[in-house]
Amino acid sequence: MVRIIYVEPSGNPRTVDVTEEWSLMQGATANGVDGIVGECGGSCACGTCHCYVEESRLAELPPPSSTEQDTLDGVAAEIKPNSRLACQIRATAALEGLVVTLPETQG
Amino acid sequence: MFTFDPYSPAIDADPFPFYKTLRDEYPCFWSPQAQTWVLSRYSDIVSAGQNWQLYSSAKGNLMTELPNRAGATLGTTDPPRHDRLRGLVQHAFMKRNLEGLAEPMRDIARTAAEALRGKDQFDFIDAFSSKFTVRVLFAALGLPLGDEQTVRDKAVLMVQSDPVSRAKGEEHIAAYNWMRDYAAKVIADRRAHPQNDLISHFSMAEIDGDKLDEREVLLTTTTLIMAGIESLGGFMSMLGLNLADYADARKAVVAKPELLPDAVEESLRFNTSAQRFRRCLQKDVTLHGQTMREGDFVCLAYGSGNRDERQYPNPDVYDITRKPRGHLGFGGGVHACLGSAIARMAIRIAFEEFHKVVPNYRRAQEKLDWMPSSTFRSPLRLPLTVH
Repeated sequence: MVRIIYVEPSGNPRTVDVTEEWSLMQGATANGVDGIVGECGGSCACGTCHCYVEESRLAELPPPSSTEQDTLDGVAAEIKPNSRLACQIRATAALEGLVVTLPETQG
Repeated sequence: MFTFDPYSPAIDADPFPFYKTLRDEYPCFWSPQAQTWVLSRYSDIVSAGQNWQLYSSAKGNLMTELPNRAGATLGTTDPPRHDRLRGLVQHAFMKRNLEGLAEPMRDIARTAAEALRGKDQFDFIDAFSSKFTVRVLFAALGLPLGDEQTVRDKAVLMVQSDPVSRAKGEEHIAAYNWMRDYAAKVIADRRAHPQNDLISHFSMAEIDGDKLDEREVLLTTTTLIMAGIESLGGFMSMLGLNLADYADARKAVVAKPELLPDAVEESLRFNTSAQRFRRCLQKDVTLHGQTMREGDFVCLAYGSGNRDERQYPNPDVYDITRKPRGHLGFGGGVHACLGSAIARMAIRIAFEEFHKVVPNYRRAQEKLDWMPSSTFRSPLRLPLTVH
């Protein structure tokens, strides 16, 4: 299990133990975290699992693929330099304690 | 001695008691009849669905695969090829690109619903859902009108399997071949007369400068037609059945159509039409004390994961206020249903219009005839009584 802290749009932090190798989207939706939809199920297609990764740890993640970048272009909330799609981030031991903030809207 | 035979008519009719035994007692079960392992717990299915490197789709994804199809469709390829193919067709199915279909869909739904006005009893599938789905698919793909009924009949037949031989029967293969020939004609027509539509773009697309393999174009188009008609229609009949059976839920969505999306999500959890898909192991895996070998097939029983009490409390209760996050009604991972956005939109519009004409209905017969299929589950007919 990897501990991930999701900050819901209300500002409420939710600490969730995510199964290793699950995506952060799956970890959030399976545990009822608010502010994330994951409409396409995790195929990097819908842009409804948009999240902001804590900036100081952004470099620890593998960079987004070109498909993820294309899909990020279509998300509903503001895109920031630390915007990512949670379905494309795998929970690994290295990400223990990562904070991801969810936007006001997923569209 | 417990067994799980996905070819059994008892499983077509009601797989849920079997799923519960699988989850509780045999969470990693070898089905000799299907020659496949069966994973039935939510978390195991999600983990497998995310791990395409280990659980490959390249040997086919249908429990009973159609001949010469594996490796040539979205559902039967692995990344990176899969992602490139999906990139070519995804655009047309994204929520923001579907708005133009809303009004045509509503017209189709209104016409189909109006034909039911004044009837005391009708078959929901024959009289409404099949008419709606086939016309929506024809509109979405720009298919020439005229063959709708035959296309629908063949799509429904090709996903079935024979409960005795535990394989595709002659009529199922014949339906598949018919659909492939039909797709080939549509593709040839679009190449001769390109339009600004999905099949025109796809049939002339390139990946990394290479034209798509002819088999990929043909079988992906065939699969889109099959899924668009059979999966959408099958699920509509399951939602219709749930709303017929659970009067409180029906009354709530009739009174407040904005609750329909909640009913759709709960029915996707409660009765998804895609009950089971399969994968092929790329190396040995030990799970729940069983060692599955490289090359073995593994069934991901989505319909069971959706009823897993470890994930959803009181899973056998149909509750439209549940909002079942993360359900497996559209599968999951890289192979999650391409058409989920168009399906949600089509179903919402269809039931909004249906309920304007037929707000009160119930099952006309207790026992239903179920489609013989190792992969999908839906009734063959759904007679409803209006009251």
